[in-house]
Amino acid sequence: MNLKSEPGDNELLRSMLAGDEEALALLYRRRQGSVYRFALQMSGSKPIAEDVTQEVFLFLMRDGRVFDPERGSLNAFLLGVARNHVMRRMRVDQVLTPIGDDGDDDAGLMLADTDLCPLEDLTRAETIETVRKAVLSLPPKYREVVVLCELQDTSYEEAAEILGCAIGTVRSRLHRARALLLAKLRPAEQVEEETSATLKSERCFA
Amino acid sequence: MNSRKLDDETLTSSLQLLAEEMASLNAPPEIEQKLRQAFRAQKVVVPIWRRRAPYWLAAGIAAVLLIAISVVALRSRTEKPNQTTAGQVEQPRIKEQPVHEEPKVVVDQTAPKEHQQIAQKPRRPASRRAQNNEVANHVNREIATDFMPLGYFNAATLQDGGQIIRVELPRSTLMNFGLPVNMDRYHEKVKADVFIGVDGLAHAIRFVR
Repeated sequence: MNLKSEPGDNELLRSMLAGDEEALALLYRRRQGSVYRFALQMSGSKPIAEDVTQEVFLFLMRDGRVFDPERGSLNAFLLGVARNHVMRRMRVDQVLTPIGDDGDDDAGLMLADTDLCPLEDLTRAETIETVRKAVLSLPPKYREVVVLCELQDTSYEEAAEILGCAIGTVRSRLHRARALLLAKLRPAEQVEEETSATLKSERCFA
Repeated sequence: MNSRKLDDETLTSSLQLLAEEMASLNAPPEIEQKLRQAFRAQKVVVPIWRRRAPYWLAAGIAAVLLIAISVVALRSRTEKPNQTTAGQVEQPRIKEQPVHEEPKVVVDQTAPKEHQQIAQKPRRPASRRAQNNEVANHVNREIATDFMPLGYFNAATLQDGGQIIRVELPRSTLMNFGLPVNMDRYHEKVKADVFIGVDGLAHAIRFVR
């Protein structure tokens, strides 16, 4: 009963634009988590994630009327705005070091020192940290699909809406991103043996 | 294949672990406070007419000031020509006061500078009279002859200054100075300005009609 009585995002947005501060608060509490996490997972920086979250909702307050409910959900709209802000900040701040697609990076070397099956041996915390770093090391266009589809549990359709591309592109990018992640998380020797051929073929789909 | 499938599953579970780990992360509460403050500030300013009132007000005041300045400027421009025309009209009146300018002609033959000084003195009473409309009108209507020297006249006497006194003389006096006399009005008196020097003697005379 309570859930049904709660106003939807569009209704809250209308109320907020009409000057209802509580509507803003409700909408913020409902959607800030996904925006903040997306910005954090994309940038790897808490200050950037906080700034982006604030900018997104400030944008919603100022220009919320540009949102068209017929074109998609408010959550997708907010994540799209967040994506633009994150990309802008990343270009400006250059917080992240650009890493190529070859997977020869620090995360891979670190895992290579441990074991042939490092993911099984790592503790949960280590696994999380390793995966987080691997995700952050992905090129932005692969990182964002991983963040959206794997970490944010966003549907392909919504991800395509956020990223402004076709669903097929989302799928192919996700496939490629997963291959890259595997390449980064596995030892360098296995990468050379097992994934070199498949990566070459999968490039065609990206 | 099996190892790869295992890797995919492991990767998926690892990503799920990361997602679960980060699912509890939220933006700090300070952001909500900042947004609320920004919203209140925006809300205060939201009404367009209020938000733009200062601009409209400033623009309106500027327009009114501009119009006022232009009106004043136009008026001053239109008034200046009027003043000059008025001055042009008034100037002949002053020139028509030959009473005070005549001494120049009388004395000027020897020392022009002295003439000018003497000529300036009679102007003072003329200006004073100008303040009185009746007198001024009276003076403006007068026609006078040139100042004619009387006995004991010299340039030094003029330099010392003097006084012009209006007197009425018998019309026969005109004949003494070689002026024609209207015999029909022979018994009437004629007005004359007598220039009296500092020595108390009459040095010049002109007849006024």
